[in-house]
Amino acid sequence: MTAAAAKGPRISRLRLACGVVLVLSFLALVPLQRAIDRELAAQGDAGELLYLPSGAILRRLSLGHEGLLADIYWTRVVQYFGRKRLGGATRYDLLGPLLRITTELDPQLVIAYRFGAIFLAEKAPAGAGQPQEALQLLRRGIVANPDYWRLWQDLGFIYYWDLKDYASAARVFQAGSERPGAQLWMKAMAASVAAQGGGVQTSRLLWSEIYRQADNDQIRLSAKSHLLALQAQEDMESLNALLRKYRQTVGRPARSFRELVAAGLLRVEPRDPSSVPYRIGPGGLAALSTGSKIDLQLLQ
Amino acid sequence: MTRRVASIALNTFKESVRERVLYNLVVFALLLIGAAILFGSISVGIEQIILVNLGLSSISVFGLLMAIFIGIGLVWKEIDKRTIFSILSKPVRRGEFILGKYLGLLLTLIINTGIMTLGFYAALLYQKRTLALADLLALEAVYFILLQLAIVVGLALLFSCISTPILSAVFTFSLYVVGNFLDDIRWFGQETGSAVVESLTSGIYYLLPNFGDFNVISQIAHGERVPGYLLISNSLYALLYVSILISAAILVFEEREFK
Repeated sequence: MTAAAAKGPRISRLRLACGVVLVLSFLALVPLQRAIDRELAAQGDAGELLYLPSGAILRRLSLGHEGLLADIYWTRVVQYFGRKRLGGATRYDLLGPLLRITTELDPQLVIAYRFGAIFLAEKAPAGAGQPQEALQLLRRGIVANPDYWRLWQDLGFIYYWDLKDYASAARVFQAGSERPGAQLWMKAMAASVAAQGGGVQTSRLLWSEIYRQADNDQIRLSAKSHLLALQAQEDMESLNALLRKYRQTVGRPARSFRELVAAGLLRVEPRDPSSVPYRIGPGGLAALSTGSKIDLQLLQ
Repeated sequence: MTRRVASIALNTFKESVRERVLYNLVVFALLLIGAAILFGSISVGIEQIILVNLGLSSISVFGLLMAIFIGIGLVWKEIDKRTIFSILSKPVRRGEFILGKYLGLLLTLIINTGIMTLGFYAALLYQKRTLALADLLALEAVYFILLQLAIVVGLALLFSCISTPILSAVFTFSLYVVGNFLDDIRWFGQETGSAVVESLTSGIYYLLPNFGDFNVISQIAHGERVPGYLLISNSLYALLYVSILISAAILVFEEREFK
């Protein structure tokens, strides 16, 4: 009884000590983890890159589950791109290496070539601004999937839109149109690009096709933004023609589009494709208002 | 003889399904297959590919774990618990005992793989809302997984006759890993330019089980069929290799003395 009584408080003290150590350790863990996170964040993407081995090695190490690893890497690409874009990043250093690993793990994963090429090629902040890397990715995709004609379409598109190399674009569209199952408009596109180069109609046709075929929201949204920008550009060219006409008729530049409506040149005040009214900018030319959601830089 | 083998196989099956680890593995595999639906939702454009890849990989990996964990104790347990004496005192040949043990575990694996495959199709149905004839392609991959498991069980059984469970698990798993690298091993040998090394690596290539040929999950995930010749040749390969392993296990077991 005496021994038990003596043992009792000792155990309680031990329990108390253990409890205190446990709570304090947990409390200390939080700032420590935060410090580690800060340290790792400061290292940035370069640190992340160091852990990326080649797709060929990963393929060997996957013990036959390379398809699953490719899916994991593809999801990483999507998350990486989405996070960077939402964070307003202008650099996407990991996008190329991640796409390379994904496609080395699963050369048949065509969405990785298609999605990857568009976002690699697009100028920052919409993409990585690496059209040459996008061309390489698509060429690898064509070698691995020679009968998938849509990769030729994407290759032609990069030449057309990002590199403004219309001769190469026409050649690629023509080659793609000869693949099995290729749609007729590829041939028309080859002819149109060869004849007109970078005309608005050709651009609209290309982006419309991308919008129509898009099998994910990011590509669809990007295509829609480009189509709206093209529409706004066309609108503004027409409005500029009317503004010139007004100036010739009245003898002075118009101060607002209301004056063009009053003069009978327009039925209503014009609005851009995002439903925000156009304004007359410096030099008396039609321009987008500050609240407009149209990004004309996409057309640069 | 068939009746005696069937009786041992049935007993092995009953014994195996009592293993708690089996249920844990099946439940975990089903959870992972279900999680593939969530995983697909954070990716873009490959929701079904992810489900097929993750679902079939889960079946393969958990099937492998079951084959190893249960296979390594098949014979060892009987020796350790000394139940082997009462079995062999009956009119049962040692060869029949080994064959019965093998078939019993194989039956367990077939049934568990069947349950996991049902879970996989349930997840696919949930994701697609409907199942098409093309979805049956996944069964080709499941068949190849079963062929792989048949060889793994054979390896585990052979090592179970020779060694302790832990060492048997290590040997079986090591051979599984090496069996996935056989193409590379042979290639390395060819690259060295040395006739001796090349002969050695070629010997290893033909001696060890080539698990790499059974990996068709990625192909199936993209809706590609497994060529007919591969179905036949891989079935034949597995049959031959399993025959070799069981024969070796019987030879070892026949020679073994129990104290």
